[in-house]
Amino acid sequence: MANRVQIPGRNSALIAMIADEDTITGFLLAGVGNVDLRRKTNYLIVDSKTTVKQIEDTFKEFTAREDIAIVLISQYVANMIRLLVDSYNKPVPAILEIPSKDHPYDPTHDSVLSRVKYLFSAESVASERR
Amino acid sequence: MGEEEEKGSSENGVESKEEEQDEQENNVLRFLDSLDSYLVLMDSLSPTLRQGWMELASARHSMGASRINSALFDLKHHNAATSLEVNHHDDTTMQQTCFTLCKWASPDTQNLCSKEATLEEGELLQRKASSPQIRHRGASRSSEEVQEKRPQPYGPPVTVDDQVQKERSKSLSVFGALVSPKLRGAQLSFETALETLVEIANIRSTILCARDQVQEEMKTTM
Repeated sequence: MANRVQIPGRNSALIAMIADEDTITGFLLAGVGNVDLRRKTNYLIVDSKTTVKQIEDTFKEFTAREDIAIVLISQYVANMIRLLVDSYNKPVPAILEIPSKDHPYDPTHDSVLSRVKYLFSAESVASERR
Repeated sequence: MGEEEEKGSSENGVESKEEEQDEQENNVLRFLDSLDSYLVLMDSLSPTLRQGWMELASARHSMGASRINSALFDLKHHNAATSLEVNHHDDTTMQQTCFTLCKWASPDTQNLCSKEATLEEGELLQRKASSPQIRHRGASRSSEEVQEKRPQPYGPPVTVDDQVQKERSKSLSVFGALVSPKLRGAQLSFETALETLVEIANIRSTILCARDQVQEEMKTTM
């Protein structure tokens, strides 16, 4: 592991997270946790008490913030707000769906892959030609 | 003469068509390559995260569940020690985003480590060798000794590695002064996972850029 320090420049940005407690704990250990002056964090811990509305609001907030460049979201959480995640099409922040302890990564649900799979579909190519 | 001109222009037309086809094929190849890289990286992410979760579970088992839980998270104002640098660059007709991970380099400690981190080793040694105090001590010192004894205006000498270790310890100290080695292991695993995720983010940017180019070409050929 490289210990070389790269100094954040003027265009430095944060990594936001919407995931379960263990995943958030792990990434906070890696130093990505940020709390601003208004005590707003760059993460949301999703548990059994978290509502879909809370997740949606947090997703919208993170994707609207200019200081966030990547949003990590557990895939099972992304499935709860699938319409919102799939309709997001900006380059920054990048939305990355990650596996969780109890839900392994499923490429069929990945929003990046679902955006390109139509290019491999024979039907879509045929319909373009009509 | 007229026939020669016609022949020349038709040859040019054929060449430009071939170049166009080559470019289209390159774009498709780039798209497929980036897609493959994305899947490979996502595959490599899972075992890294799994190791991190296992180490976290082991640490929780040895330290106790009350010592590793979200209630202990620091909710006071602080900046992220690990952040990203985002650059946009124009790739042919599309704009591509590039993410660079800046590990353990929080703005809080930026002034302290900026001078050390941006200098090459050779330049650093040259600087130290030219300072008056070190010259008086003699020329046979090793570079490490020279580095340790270099006078610092702000206190004892600090290297980049020390700064990284300091930030890592600060992150671990949220869970107490003495932590299980498994927790340190989990920290390293999640750091590795972060590096993979930044690569994935860059590949995602390449996929979307290449997809747009391929889509554009499909529209013009239909």
